[in-house]
Amino acid sequence: MIFRFLILCFLLFNFNHSHGQETAYYNQTEVGILLGNPDENWSWENKNRVDFSLITFHGAKVSKNHVVGVSVGFDQYQSIALFPIALGWRGFLGKENKPQLIGGFDLGGGFPLLEKKIRTEWNESWFNSGLLISPSLGVKFPAKKGKTALTMSFAYKRQELGNYTGNFDFNPTPSPTTNLRLPPGYSSVTETSYLFHSLVTRIGYIF
Amino acid sequence: MRIFRILPMIGLLLASLAITSCQDEITSTYTYRAMVPIYLEMSDVRARTITIAPPQELDNPGKIYIYGDYLLINEPTKGIHILDNTNPENPINKNFIPIEGNVDLAVNSNILYADNYVDLLAFDISNINNISLVKRVEDVFTHLYQHDTGQIITFRDSVLTSDNAYRGCINCEFFTMNASLSFASNFSAASQSYGTGGSMARFTLSNEHLYAVDESTMRVFDVKNPKDPKFVKPIDLGWGIETIFPFQNKLFIGSNTGMHIYDASTPESPTRMAVYEHLVACDPVVVNEDFAFVTLRSGNFCVNNINQLQVVNIEDPYKPYLMKSYPMLNPHGLGLSEDNLYIAEGRHGLKSFKVSDVMTIDQNQMEFLESMKSVDLIPGPKSLIVIGPDGVCQFDYSTPSKLVKLSCIDVKNPITVQ
Repeated sequence: MIFRFLILCFLLFNFNHSHGQETAYYNQTEVGILLGNPDENWSWENKNRVDFSLITFHGAKVSKNHVVGVSVGFDQYQSIALFPIALGWRGFLGKENKPQLIGGFDLGGGFPLLEKKIRTEWNESWFNSGLLISPSLGVKFPAKKGKTALTMSFAYKRQELGNYTGNFDFNPTPSPTTNLRLPPGYSSVTETSYLFHSLVTRIGYIF
Repeated sequence: MRIFRILPMIGLLLASLAITSCQDEITSTYTYRAMVPIYLEMSDVRARTITIAPPQELDNPGKIYIYGDYLLINEPTKGIHILDNTNPENPINKNFIPIEGNVDLAVNSNILYADNYVDLLAFDISNINNISLVKRVEDVFTHLYQHDTGQIITFRDSVLTSDNAYRGCINCEFFTMNASLSFASNFSAASQSYGTGGSMARFTLSNEHLYAVDESTMRVFDVKNPKDPKFVKPIDLGWGIETIFPFQNKLFIGSNTGMHIYDASTPESPTRMAVYEHLVACDPVVVNEDFAFVTLRSGNFCVNNINQLQVVNIEDPYKPYLMKSYPMLNPHGLGLSEDNLYIAEGRHGLKSFKVSDVMTIDQNQMEFLESMKSVDLIPGPKSLIVIGPDGVCQFDYSTPSKLVKLSCIDVKNPITVQ
């Protein structure tokens, strides 16, 4: 799916180029902070979650006011680092060369690439990636000359994440056939599902 | 520049929403294997006629028993597969005897003995195409009875999910513990057994007697007339009995606190000779005239961080003692054929040793097949049977130092080794 979309973006990019129109490539890179409210039943310190966030959106203009593309980035959720990869849309409202509103929407997943599978003699624990949905609203301040602009935006980010701890089944009897809830080789698995609701405030740069 | 006025307001609104209403959600579930109790009326079980069924695919094989050209493979709690193994390169699945609650079997003079919950059944298998039930000895494995109700209690291996990771229900804890007990019955080469179902019986034949052990009791049957097994008596063994291995008028009984040696020269009434308590025998045992070979492995419920092959001197069965131990990787079952010892090393593979000198076993390793993951093996007259993630495989071991794979019987739900 992502691959097909990238091909589409590539074709659009080339199509625009071949007709000698304005540059179709669009990049919006922003840094900011993720704000959230941890579950008080689980958090040791009942403090708000305040963490670093980076997003860089690479897209192609599909019309005067619409860009589609792919966003990648880095989000820290307390001790867990995620790399979000999403398909995204950006839309603009307002006159060109004046401050414009930017609406955005990203849909993809957050990948815990730095979180290693921890294996002991008795069990192992690991993270699985989870769905990411993020609508955003911001404003773009174009430079007086050239195509660049500064941005400031707010986004809501809904990120799911799964943490698993599986205890090994040391008596290698086969798992009950009818049940797929327990992966082979484990006698028990504890699944902890996280759903992070965050507000993201960001500043960035467009070219 | 209306935007400059609107934007901070939107930001403020979103921030207050995020902080006040949108709390992170964390949920936890605990999924575990457990033995779920099932209550049955034995009268209902006995009322059902046992009809021999066409061959069925091996799903989850338990004990494997070699009898002449046939392999009898138990499907725990379901019945027994019969395979024609005339050609070990191509075993043919012949038929299936459905026996509820069955976990063990033994064959004597064309009579197959099998447990059916609390009863012992005897089948005439002299004509494999016309197997018939010739005898039912009722109420012998009485430990399955719930005495207050007259029902029998049996357990089904199940997977349960609880919404609470740490508390669960009180009974679930009991059942998970019970599950571990049951699974801990492990893979023993003793008496060519490869069994699950720790709360149930394990069989062996010796001197025209059938011995069946459960967790604490050995039951003796007189099978001088094979078609008419007679229950002789129960013998109390103490708790935690796992395996039974007969050798030259002796019975070697592995429990999880030690190895019991019984003198069975008076077969109807075996007497205890010694208990060797220095090993934790959740572990398979094989013996020859002078030595018992035992594997200990880490990761099960019995020992920590010990992966060893132990050689116990049993020249004087009243005074067994440890001769030597050798480090291993993660040994499971083992099998002895003359001077050749084969050890299933779990995920690490399969090893073979020459054991003519028990003090230098480590220097006499013949082969280490790292690709042959295995949990148990049975040295049979035609082939070495190896059980592992590939199913039930047979090897030509006529040259003991060079195993040659003959065939593998597919298993629907094979073993996973960690």
